[in-house]
Amino acid sequence: MNVKEYISSGIIESYVMGMATDVERHEFEAVCAQYPEIAEARNAFELALEEQLLTSTSQPPVHLKQLIEGKVLSTAVDIDVANVEPDEIQVRRIGPWKWLAAASIILLAATAFWAITTNNKYIELQAAHNNLQNQLQQSTAQLDTLKQEASLLQKPGIMMATMKGTSDPGIYATIYWDTTSANKDVYLMVNNLPETTSDKQYQLWALLNGQPIDLGMIEARQQRLLLRMKNVQSAEAFAITLEPKGGSATPTSAPLVLGKL
Amino acid sequence: MSTKITYREQDLVISLRNKDNQAFGYLYDHYSGALYGVIRQIVGELELSNDVLQETFVNIWRKIDSYDETKGRLFTWMLNIARNAAIDKTRSKGFQQTQRQQPLEDGEVLQASVRPGIDDYGLKKVLLRLKDEHRQLIDLSYYQGFTHEQIAKALHMPLGTVKTRIRTALTQLRALLS
Repeated sequence: MNVKEYISSGIIESYVMGMATDVERHEFEAVCAQYPEIAEARNAFELALEEQLLTSTSQPPVHLKQLIEGKVLSTAVDIDVANVEPDEIQVRRIGPWKWLAAASIILLAATAFWAITTNNKYIELQAAHNNLQNQLQQSTAQLDTLKQEASLLQKPGIMMATMKGTSDPGIYATIYWDTTSANKDVYLMVNNLPETTSDKQYQLWALLNGQPIDLGMIEARQQRLLLRMKNVQSAEAFAITLEPKGGSATPTSAPLVLGKL
Repeated sequence: MSTKITYREQDLVISLRNKDNQAFGYLYDHYSGALYGVIRQIVGELELSNDVLQETFVNIWRKIDSYDETKGRLFTWMLNIARNAAIDKTRSKGFQQTQRQQPLEDGEVLQASVRPGIDDYGLKKVLLRLKDEHRQLIDLSYYQGFTHEQIAKALHMPLGTVKTRIRTALTQLRALLS
């Protein structure tokens, strides 16, 4: 290769000024690496061009420096990210339909979770609701009973007889006799009666002309305030005796409590 | 120039690669005038030239790692970035609408007229000393970025002749510079 001829061919200037084709450029770079003279000639032209351009310039507007420096500094972060990302993180391009599918699955899972949770909550709430409704019904029924009992106690024509313990004054019960009603209803309030053994029961009697009239059986412990007993048209006194379970036709023991009208 | 520090080119490149802001300031102070001159001679219009200078320095800062010292000087590398950005700007739709720049077509050749304040410094100042036919070829190929094939077609010249004349013009330019 004739180096001198090559140097004066114009390829150096063409290369340095960016006017060479890709083929010419690659060839020139290879030749430069091989022939220091050619690289030297290239460097000389570069310096000559640089000197001419640096000494005969057109200064840009002063404000541009600040603008450009601001722009450059703000790109510093981008560069770091751009340089690091491809090495350390494998980013895969995902097609829009895949995003859509992924979003749908997430939405479906979220909806299912929501539905199950909501259904469980609904079941719990329904149980709690039923429970409350039952309690309310019971309370309402109890309240109604109490109201009826209270109105009965307040009724003007009602006769009251306290049956006191014949041996123990702490044992007693009260008779409320609605003499104004057509049936002359008898009610009993158990204030304090001792527990009975399982084979015994208390029995209420009305006494008329020395004769006992059966008014029904009583448990020692009562939920209700007033117990509705059998009716009696007239009576002089009331008494309770302890009888064998099921009751007796006539009292078999002495009265536990006794009250005269 | 406010910066007192001067850099040897090798050190400047290293500092730029380390994203040293002070080095960038030096680079701008030292080279912006030369690069802006070339950009203006290609683009012409002031605002667009400012845009191109900005793009050029952003690209220099971003691509400094790809600069290869064995292939040429830093300034040569930067000059080519500036020239390419400027030519790209003249090819943009907006530029062609405002500047009414015609694509190079058969038989239609823009005369290499001298624009005062734009063509009387830098490389163009040297080119004025070339023969008109040589200056026109440098203008079309270097400043307007047309390929040899495009120029041959427009000037009704064989491709070989265009290549030879451009090479001749370039060697004459080197002679004028040295």
